[in-house]
Amino acid sequence: MTPETVAVAVFLFTYALVVSEKIHRAVAAMFGASVILFLKIVPWENIPKYLDLNTLFLLMGMMIIVNTARNSGLFEYVAIKTAKLARGSPIRVLLLFSIVTAVISSVLDNVTTVLLLTPMLLYISRLMELSPIPFLLSEIFASNIGGTATLIGDPPNIMIGSAAKLSFNEFLINMGPIAAIDLGVTILIIYLAYNNALKVTPKKKVMIIQTLRGLDEKAAIRDIRLFRKSVAIILFVVALFFLHDRLGIEPAVVALFGASLILLWTREDPEGIFEKIEWPALFFFGGLFIIVGALEETGTIAKVAEWVLTHVHTQGEALLVITWFSAFSSAIVDNIPLTAAMIPLIKHMGASMNVYPLWWALSLGACLGGNGTAIGASANVVVIGIAEREDVRITFVDFLKVGMIIMIITVAIGVGILWIRYVGW
Amino acid sequence: MGLFSSLIQRKFKDIAGKRYERVLKEYRDFLLTEEEMVLPEIKSVLIPLDRFIGEIPVDVYDTLSAYRDAKFVLLYIIDIHVSYMIEQTLGVKASEEFKKKEKEEGMKLLGKISRNFEALGINPQLRLFFGDKSRDIISLAQKHDLLVLSKAYGSEITKTHPLSPVVLKIVQHVNIPVIVY
Repeated sequence: MTPETVAVAVFLFTYALVVSEKIHRAVAAMFGASVILFLKIVPWENIPKYLDLNTLFLLMGMMIIVNTARNSGLFEYVAIKTAKLARGSPIRVLLLFSIVTAVISSVLDNVTTVLLLTPMLLYISRLMELSPIPFLLSEIFASNIGGTATLIGDPPNIMIGSAAKLSFNEFLINMGPIAAIDLGVTILIIYLAYNNALKVTPKKKVMIIQTLRGLDEKAAIRDIRLFRKSVAIILFVVALFFLHDRLGIEPAVVALFGASLILLWTREDPEGIFEKIEWPALFFFGGLFIIVGALEETGTIAKVAEWVLTHVHTQGEALLVITWFSAFSSAIVDNIPLTAAMIPLIKHMGASMNVYPLWWALSLGACLGGNGTAIGASANVVVIGIAEREDVRITFVDFLKVGMIIMIITVAIGVGILWIRYVGW
Repeated sequence: MGLFSSLIQRKFKDIAGKRYERVLKEYRDFLLTEEEMVLPEIKSVLIPLDRFIGEIPVDVYDTLSAYRDAKFVLLYIIDIHVSYMIEQTLGVKASEEFKKKEKEEGMKLLGKISRNFEALGINPQLRLFFGDKSRDIISLAQKHDLLVLSKAYGSEITKTHPLSPVVLKIVQHVNIPVIVY
């Protein structure tokens, strides 16, 4: 067996294990990486070349910041405040929670965002005596769309930003407007699809307002000093992200700086915070980088890129192919291994065309593709999982009917904007 | 559990771990339970009064005015045990005198409080009788949706005893919402 064959076999085997869900994806990736290193397909000295520390440290830093801030009750505070602002109107609940979810997801990870907002959404739905399904679906879509908007919003964006050396501001300028339009369109679609299920009587509305008035958002704050410090650090970190390219520092450095600052200033127990870092996710990323590195090392990626270039002749064609391929693939399989494999492919395509727009195409497809099916993104699984635990059933088909439409429309809008901007009329 | 459900729960466990349980626990500290969330419908309000209550505070009138469509009953119970004790110790005449004065005072207080309610557009029913304060109110409360009690109902209160023992006994035995002012 040639090293190339082994690299492809390990990649496909790992991918199959991840898709099958038979064993944890982190274990699958670790095993695949171990085989690659054991067989010396990627020499030990080349590990730093493939192991993307920018991605790993950026994720780690943001996990530390989020887990420290969480202890203050910050997110519960935001959830209650949003619920009160909605003033008992289902449409305002839909609108406000979607916007809040999208904004938080654009700076923090999607899973944490939906984990913290979903219980509040279910609570308000019960209070309004309405089906929570439209609100939950909107939350899922908003989370995935919000994550698309920034460099730190979704892991594929972190990977793309690191590989292509794209700044936070470049992401915001290119993906921010697409995300904003997509969010508006998504809320409108949900509203039109569930219009009849979003009504309460005026009497009921008064009762909801009375009950919500009884909720004290300040009671959610467990530690006011930690709360204030967490808000300050998050704002400071976001401001640094805006400036990182001007300051000439990597996004990972910003995240690690913010993480160390929050630990230093708040004096929270570091051991407790480090325990909450999602190590399985980091090991999954690490393993994948090595497995995809093996495909690069053996020249497989270069060959695939050559093959793609013989069939895709223009930048416009490449834009469409990458966007739709990554969108439909992400709807079915995990978008992280997909992005990991697509990145070196696009890099190789750079020899014969300007690949700058293709990075945005990949980001668009990989992030928004997750909206297509119930298992397309982590946020989907978490919200549907929570809903099931609370006796609210969202079946695969129920989700597919709305999700696929949302995915196709939002990706089409995004690809249209990218086309106008980079290919022209 | 269907195939999709088991897949979702397995993936959920992989992604969220035990984080959701922690989030739920934190929310439970300040969110109402499903039982607490159901606002009771108030169709009938019972307001016991006696010699220890001079006036109902303005805030209570404000709160009760929200239920202006409900039936209001102002109830004055004269303690039958006190009347009996007077009869046994001071004689029938003294007991009759006590009953007469208590009735007069009761009617006066009922009239005063009733006028305050009428000013809010509420016409309460007035009742006065001899009985056992705690036992009769616990029994009558079953026919009403809301009980409004003064902290001093049934006995005088002090700084060290800010709640009358009669009120304490009543709130421990009734199963309807109670406003204690």
